[in-house]
Amino acid sequence: MKRIGVFLCWCGSNIGGVVDVPKVAEITRTFPGVAFVQENKYTCSEPGQAAMVQAIKEHKIDAVVVASCSPRMHLPTFQKAVQTAGLNPYMVEMANLREHCSWVHSAEPENATQKAVELVRKAVAKVAKLEPLFESYIPVTKRALVIGGGIAGIQTALDIADSGHQVVIVEKEATIGGRMAQLDKTFPTLDCGA
Amino acid sequence: MSVKEKDVANWQPKILGFACNWCSYAGADVCGVSRFQHPSTMRVVRVPCSGRVNPHFVLRAFQRGIDGVLVGG
Amino acid sequence: MVAAAQHPNITLYTYSQVESVGGYIGNFEVTIRKNAKYVDYSKCTGCGMCETKCPTKKVTSEFDVGMGQRTAIYKPFAQAVPNKPVIDNKSCKKLIDGKCGVCEKVCPAGAINYEDQDELVTEKFGAIVMATGFDLIDWGKLYGEYGGGTIPDVIDGLQFERLVNAGGPTGGKIKRPSDHEVPQTVVFIKCVGSRDVLKGKSYCSRACCMYTAKHAHQVLEKVKGSDVYIFYMDVRTPGKMYDEFYMRTREVDGAKYIRGQVSKIFQDGNKVIVRGEDTLVGQSVEVVADMVVVETAMVPRPDAVQVAQTVGFSYDKDGWYTEAHPKLRPVETNTGGVFLSGCCQGPKDVPDSVAQASAAAVKVVAMFSKDQMATNPQIASVNEGTCVGCLLCKPICPYKAIEAKEITERVHGQSVTRTVASVNSGLCQGCGACTAECRSGSINLKGFTNLQLLAEVDAACL
Ligand SMILES: Cc1cc2nc3c(=O)[nH]c(=O)nc-3n(C[C@H](O)[C@H](O)[C@H](O)COP(=O)(O)OP(=O)(O)OC[C@H]3O[C@@H](n4cnc5c(N)ncnc54)[C@H](O)[C@@H]3O)c2cc1C
Ligand code: SF4
Ligand code: SF4
Ligand code: SF4
Repeated sequence: MKRIGVFLCWCGSNIGGVVDVPKVAEITRTFPGVAFVQENKYTCSEPGQAAMVQAIKEHKIDAVVVASCSPRMHLPTFQKAVQTAGLNPYMVEMANLREHCSWVHSAEPENATQKAVELVRKAVAKVAKLEPLFESYIPVTKRALVIGGGIAGIQTALDIADSGHQVVIVEKEATIGGRMAQLDKTFPTLDCGA
Repeated sequence: MSVKEKDVANWQPKILGFACNWCSYAGADVCGVSRFQHPSTMRVVRVPCSGRVNPHFVLRAFQRGIDGVLVGG
Repeated sequence: MVAAAQHPNITLYTYSQVESVGGYIGNFEVTIRKNAKYVDYSKCTGCGMCETKCPTKKVTSEFDVGMGQRTAIYKPFAQAVPNKPVIDNKSCKKLIDGKCGVCEKVCPAGAINYEDQDELVTEKFGAIVMATGFDLIDWGKLYGEYGGGTIPDVIDGLQFERLVNAGGPTGGKIKRPSDHEVPQTVVFIKCVGSRDVLKGKSYCSRACCMYTAKHAHQVLEKVKGSDVYIFYMDVRTPGKMYDEFYMRTREVDGAKYIRGQVSKIFQDGNKVIVRGEDTLVGQSVEVVADMVVVETAMVPRPDAVQVAQTVGFSYDKDGWYTEAHPKLRPVETNTGGVFLSGCCQGPKDVPDSVAQASAAAVKVVAMFSKDQMATNPQIASVNEGTCVGCLLCKPICPYKAIEAKEITERVHGQSVTRTVASVNSGLCQGCGACTAECRSGSINLKGFTNLQLLAEVDAACL
């Protein structure tokens, strides 16, 4: 069986001000497979991540639940953190206690705490079944296509071209320049369009 | 067993949501960012696309006693 | 413009469109349609003889937004890049019914080719940057009370730009379209089609407050003794030297700003009457004008949605291209390897377009700084032991990542060949649609397996 570590985040008062985090921690300790539980003021901060890395090493944790904000926000952060601790980056799962809980149930802290417990339990259940995954590598064709040759397309193409890569601009009209070529002078400097 | 009227009035269905990471899960995040208050009885399972939701998952949730399932995508 | 044409690393395909896009980040395969130009650019010297002699001279110029005319063989404007003409096959007499051929006779370079055909080329790219820009809203259809586009001296901002442009149809002299008189009283109306949830778009078009001030300044500078009135809801000038520019137009140039909306515009003899309200004094106002300019909302190009579908990324309800994150990833799309530059993402002025353009370039260059890219390992995988080769999963995959594969195995001492599904790891985007389709549960999604998700369901239903 895996040794699961659960890191509960207060997010300052964003989570901790609504959800009773110590109580969630207490219940989390009883979940099957959970070997370690830690609370953090800001898990994503440098000290928060360092504490996580240390705990993973010290307690021989091999899968992690971070109960904090949305995985859309910080999953990559924590994947990197567990990797520094020597784990496979895909051995981490998040429970969204902020966007999906404390922020939207701030008027009912007890229910929010109950929901937080269940969200953590759900994440722990998934983590128990996780397996390491490995990236493969694909070659990169170093040529860029820019669709549209207005001022924006031209600028993008010039910048890419100046750094030594080939660029193709596809422009539907018979000339590049876009709207800017139609303008007389442009604000705020009143210099010419073309 | 008789159900008290008060319980009926207070009853909230327990809902399991499957949310696509790119749209409805993101939407639920925005809902959080805008502090949009709503009943605390939904639990969201994050999936990479609503297409990932196997009908078995929905049946299993009902077997386990959930009151409603929402698939967002 | 010229810098782009001359850069050794830049190839221009003008008069061209993207036909189809296949592949994935780092390895796109793009088919481009180069429309027939009927002019061989390897021979054409850009002398312009053909344009001078072309007898079809009354084609409405798109570049001049209807304010001027062009020939059937034409360059959009004198400094066009490349500086060579194309033949518009919808107005060229030779191409319509074979009755002309003048340009072929006069071309000293022998560059004209009436037989020219569209050409399709397929090329590989690692990254795609969208920079398709914007259009202006079709205000005539929406605002009947402003004359619905039937009053000749009511024009939009882009038409005004052509009127003041030295390279435009009037050589930069502000003359109104109806009788080519110089207008003494000009009214500008801002926010037409912008910030109008009922008829137009809910958003602010961002550049018009500033270019209206520019337009007012241009009238007051070019037409001595003229009067300029500007109807506005708000004046929004955030930006370096922006408010100063606006205040100068108001205080020094003497543009008269009237806070309030216009309810009606109509023709009266050779005047255009503008009726509205001055909400600051709480009175209705009427301006007898010679010309009116409606500063209209920016909208996406008419083909924006179709192009987004061809390339394969998302757009919003108005058709603007959607960035991956409004604050943190403003120039990426949710599709790997596709980036956004300029107004196609939403209304912007030039400084913002250029800043975003360079940001998109950096994202591309960062991608190109590596020879290889790590792929997302959370993709589908087939259990060949249980896969029965029904291939129900194949048509369900939106990314065409599933193929049939023959495998040979030994069964009871005999070698047997059978078909199984196989996932292309470069194409698979990890959506998992195939996993729900498979009857035997043989295709699974790594990172979101059946077991893992069922465990979550169970735990959530306790
Ligand atoms: C009246 C007016 C006055 C303005 N004045 C100012 C000013 O004074 N100062 C200022 O800062 N800003 C001004 N602006 C804003 C400015 O025009 C824009 O910020 C700028 O032009 C945006 O550049 P772009 O390259 O994003 O788009 P565009 O200029 O629209 O260029 C897009 C290009 O892509 C091409 N294209 C479109 N679709 C396709 C396709 N499917 N395939 C291939 N090619 C395609 C188009 O032909 C065009 O060449 C003004 C705008 C207006 C309307
Ligand atoms: S006359 Fe011939 S060479 Fe001159 S611009 Fe026309 S096509 Fe080109
Ligand atoms: S920039 Fe000014 S004129 Fe344009 S829509 Fe916004 S407020 Fe109206
Ligand atoms: S996971 Fe989605 S993209 Fe990958 S093979 Fe299955 S259906 Fe296709």
